[in-house]
Amino acid sequence: MGRQKEDTVRQQGETERGHSETEGGHSETTWGDRMRTNIKMTAAPYNYSYIFKYIIIGDMGVGKSCLLHQFTEKKFMADCPHTIGVEFGTRIMEVHGQKVKLQIWDTAGQERFRAVTRSYYRGAAGALMVYDITRRSTYNHLSSWLTDARNLTNPNTVIILIGNKADLEAQRDVTYEEAKQFAEENGLLFLEASAKTGENVEEAFLEAAKRIYQNIQDGSLDLNAAESGVQHKPSAPQGGRLNADSQPAKEGCSC
Amino acid sequence: MDQSVAIQETLEKEENCLICEVVSHSITESILLGLVESSKEHAIFIYTHRRMAITADDVSLEDIVPVSLDFAVVEISSPEELAVVGADTRVRVSYQEEALELRLPFGSHSRLFLSEVNRAWSDACKSPTHVPTFEWINKYHKANKGPGVVKQALGTTFTKLNQHRKTGLSGARSPPAQNEWQRSGEMSEPLRDSEKSDQKGSSEREIGSNSGTQKSRVCPSPESQAISRDDLVHASSHTTSNKAQILTMPQFNLRDNLIRCELLKNEDLYTYRENFSLFLGTYNVNGQTPKESLSPWLSCTLDPPDMYCVGFQELDLSKEAFFFNDTPKELEWTKAVSKGLHPDAKYALVKLVRLVGIMLIFYVKKEHAEFISEVEAETVGTGIMGRMGNKGAVAIRFHFHNSSICVVNSHLAAHIEEYERRNQDYKDICSRLQFRQLEPTQTPLTIMKHDVVLWIGDLNYRISDLDVSNVKELISKKDFETLHSYDQLKRQIDEEAVFVGFVEGEIDFQPTYKYDTGSDKWDTSEKCRVPAWCDRVLWRGKNIKQQHYQSHMALKASDHKPVSSMLEIGIKRVNSEAYKKTFEEIVRNIDKMENECIPSVTLSKQEFHFKDVKFMQHQAETLSLLNDGQVPCQFEFIQKPNEYTYCKPWLTANPPKGFIAQGGSVDIDLEVFVNRSTAPELNSGKEQIEDILVLHLERGKDYFIPLTGNYLPSCYGSSIRSLCHLRDPIQEIPQETLRDLAESSGDENAVTVEKPLDIPKELWMMVDHLFRNAIKQEDIFQQPGLRSEFAEIRDCLDTGMPDSLPGSNHSVAEALLLFLDALPQPVVPYSFYQLCLEGCSNASQCEKVISMLPRCHQNVFNYISAFLRELLKNSANNRLDVSILATIFASLLLKSPQKQDLAEKRKTQEFFQHFLTQGSS
Repeated sequence: MGRQKEDTVRQQGETERGHSETEGGHSETTWGDRMRTNIKMTAAPYNYSYIFKYIIIGDMGVGKSCLLHQFTEKKFMADCPHTIGVEFGTRIMEVHGQKVKLQIWDTAGQERFRAVTRSYYRGAAGALMVYDITRRSTYNHLSSWLTDARNLTNPNTVIILIGNKADLEAQRDVTYEEAKQFAEENGLLFLEASAKTGENVEEAFLEAAKRIYQNIQDGSLDLNAAESGVQHKPSAPQGGRLNADSQPAKEGCSC
Repeated sequence: MDQSVAIQETLEKEENCLICEVVSHSITESILLGLVESSKEHAIFIYTHRRMAITADDVSLEDIVPVSLDFAVVEISSPEELAVVGADTRVRVSYQEEALELRLPFGSHSRLFLSEVNRAWSDACKSPTHVPTFEWINKYHKANKGPGVVKQALGTTFTKLNQHRKTGLSGARSPPAQNEWQRSGEMSEPLRDSEKSDQKGSSEREIGSNSGTQKSRVCPSPESQAISRDDLVHASSHTTSNKAQILTMPQFNLRDNLIRCELLKNEDLYTYRENFSLFLGTYNVNGQTPKESLSPWLSCTLDPPDMYCVGFQELDLSKEAFFFNDTPKELEWTKAVSKGLHPDAKYALVKLVRLVGIMLIFYVKKEHAEFISEVEAETVGTGIMGRMGNKGAVAIRFHFHNSSICVVNSHLAAHIEEYERRNQDYKDICSRLQFRQLEPTQTPLTIMKHDVVLWIGDLNYRISDLDVSNVKELISKKDFETLHSYDQLKRQIDEEAVFVGFVEGEIDFQPTYKYDTGSDKWDTSEKCRVPAWCDRVLWRGKNIKQQHYQSHMALKASDHKPVSSMLEIGIKRVNSEAYKKTFEEIVRNIDKMENECIPSVTLSKQEFHFKDVKFMQHQAETLSLLNDGQVPCQFEFIQKPNEYTYCKPWLTANPPKGFIAQGGSVDIDLEVFVNRSTAPELNSGKEQIEDILVLHLERGKDYFIPLTGNYLPSCYGSSIRSLCHLRDPIQEIPQETLRDLAESSGDENAVTVEKPLDIPKELWMMVDHLFRNAIKQEDIFQQPGLRSEFAEIRDCLDTGMPDSLPGSNHSVAEALLLFLDALPQPVVPYSFYQLCLEGCSNASQCEKVISMLPRCHQNVFNYISAFLRELLKNSANNRLDVSILATIFASLLLKSPQKQDLAEKRKTQEFFQHFLTQGSS
């Protein structure tokens, strides 16, 4: 078994692996599956095998922190103070049967902090770009946020556009259709969500995670790249290293 | 028996078979997998073998799968159908684009094998620099005949398995599945089915097994037995996931242990009790073969029990059995038991364990099979030398739903007077019988660590202090209660000498020992033994009710009568909805915990404003950090991108980093101080009092602390040129004018139409003040002024044009020195500095350099020189001399762009002295 192929694989190395993933039409033998189930078997059943770094960006008051809070705590924070700085949240999600730890960096939206927050974009695997559907100005600023996101992250960073406050239909100032079109034109995922009701919040984080995972599977996201924003844990033989990987080294600000 | 020995024999010296696994790939054949290591590379060697592999001749190498990056072992089970408990582990081994599917027998050994393989794989992945070459494998490739055989055979297995899954999921027992079930019933025929075709199937199987696998039958290892038996269980339907198994999978790290602990702690939230019946039977068969049906014993209940645990003692009294633990009786009695099970249900044999003549078989109703997990069996010999297997115990432990159960079948020391020896045997069994755990780090499980312990067997306790006739009389009167009071076991239990915590039901049957074989007559031999209740059933645990406890007189083959008891046991069942909820809750809590463990502090103030910042006027605000998080934290102000320091030069944070204990706090002084190096940019409006501090918590969030303020421009730190253009106090000048002035520097004519002042009015005011008031002042320029008076002087110069300046002469003198010191370009601009040094010894050269200075600089230079010469005229009073003034003023008027050395300093003084002595010379 497999003997004939051994040499070719050795020559082609990494690319061969990436290749056979896409080729494997019958799902059960794709490399992606194998990789995944390998983890499932070696690592403990509750543990996560990937860490994805996310950033949340967008104008002040669009509800970035509330989205994060809703996602991590399943609660709506009614009187959420402005974020002055960068906050973190983590949660473990299941993505295509894989436990993935999302590590989310919630940034300050105020314009005056813009220069400082830019340094946090680096190494993000996913970016949630948020606007407020009841305030057109926050929508109008998207292209500037998008420029930052594109310039400061790697080309594979998955950007999802989120129209928050979808519960305030009566005050809607930005239509679903135009935002959808904006997203399509710029190759973004798009969802309208409500941090208040929780609608689509889970989905927003999940959709981005799925896309990232897909990028890993089809080889377009190179995990070895320093700024992929993804950490992979093939197995956890050492045990008890919760702290060691709960926060990656912060980049950007130390330069 | 470890068959890796046989594999090792086929290998080269430097190659090691780490672990070996027996895999059934079809009903009649099994293959051996050996994980072989050579110079840190691993490969799986696949062998076929025709019998129990003992030497290299018994195995033939079929294929080798290198454990490289292209290798994978995948456990085949989709999330919605997690492995059936007790079932084979199905794995797919794949290498490059080929895959083969294997069924590993259920049990810890398979787990161990898989984890070893995975370790090898992850080792291969971990060292990408070392590209495995697997050269050592090549010699095998050449030698062996080719890969075809195994792959074909395995291919068929693969399709079969697919069928199973389909039928299992649909819930219907479709023909192929049934067929499989029947055929694999080779040993125990656990299913009663009258269909003739199936019977035929099983008999065919027997023929095959006699010829082909005789050896393994004779010398059974737990693993090889498990294969065939687990097939039976495996064939039961695949349904929803079994949580009991999830709970007990190998654990690797803290997070998992936390979750497991929490799950155990909250067991009540997701489990509920349901009663299941467990039939316990014990029978000392005195070495006989099964001649009569066991149905009267095993099928004595109206309803079929959910589980059967049937124990035998003295299965085989032959020397062979004793010395080689080897007996054909095992199969004979197992078959007899299988036939004797309740006809109204189908049972699967889960586990069989035997130590010489002590055997325990565990069956479960087919529909419960999937809820059985973690089945382990162990034996302990307490016989001759305290170790041999003629006496002792065998035990099977398992999880049923979420309850752990341990069944012990023991044969304790004989003879009426040996009750203390029996007590000792019991204690030995309790301490020595240990089940290994899946995770090596966990201590082995002992009997008592189970929710339910069931203890059956020929415990051999007798009736003492009564002679035979009395005993028989009581028996004939059926006064078992009185008789029981003479029972050694009862007495020993009452004395808490043995079976502490165990319960036995009321004995309402006559003693089960000793009868003449083949009859119901008491022992008529010479020894004429006193009848005794040797054969007993005890239990320990909560929620257990005995339904019956009886002997079975109908069976006459042995000198003992079999005993049975039906227990109704409250088993913890998992409510999968509630479990899911609990599990998610726990995971969420742990996530939450993790989020809460992110260091966090509260800032006393979010933002700072410094009002009316002035030149050389210290301003400070306090930022208090309170560590209100769950963990101690380390804070530090960190740099922003493209900046070299964490803050602007006019700002400092003190301390800039530190540690705050949980609940503790730290005060940080934020200090603003504008000195001569920062003042020029602020005066000109190029810079503002504005910064954002980034307070970083190690492994935690970052806080942005905006800092703002307004700066009051000052003549201090403003250029001579700019000041010459300002006729009004600097603070009355609009910001834009100041900026424009700064930007147009060098362009003499551009700024104003107005003619500039000859010298800055502020300079004139100070010099004039000193000229008028301090010309004779003792120690002028030598004694320091007061800081507070300097502030007044500065404000005075910056805001108005008073006739006289406040403060003492010394303060004004110092204010003058500070003014010269703060000039962005010294009076002799930097670009002329080198020229000055070169011409310092020549007076006319020096004057020539001064004449080349920009007009306003030249004016200032001459004005100061003239003033100083005036001072020297009064040196009798003010005690100044040329050298003192040259030392003080040369360093202010002629500044080096770089650091000055002593020789340069002397030269600047020499340069300036020419101007101090001008008038007098």
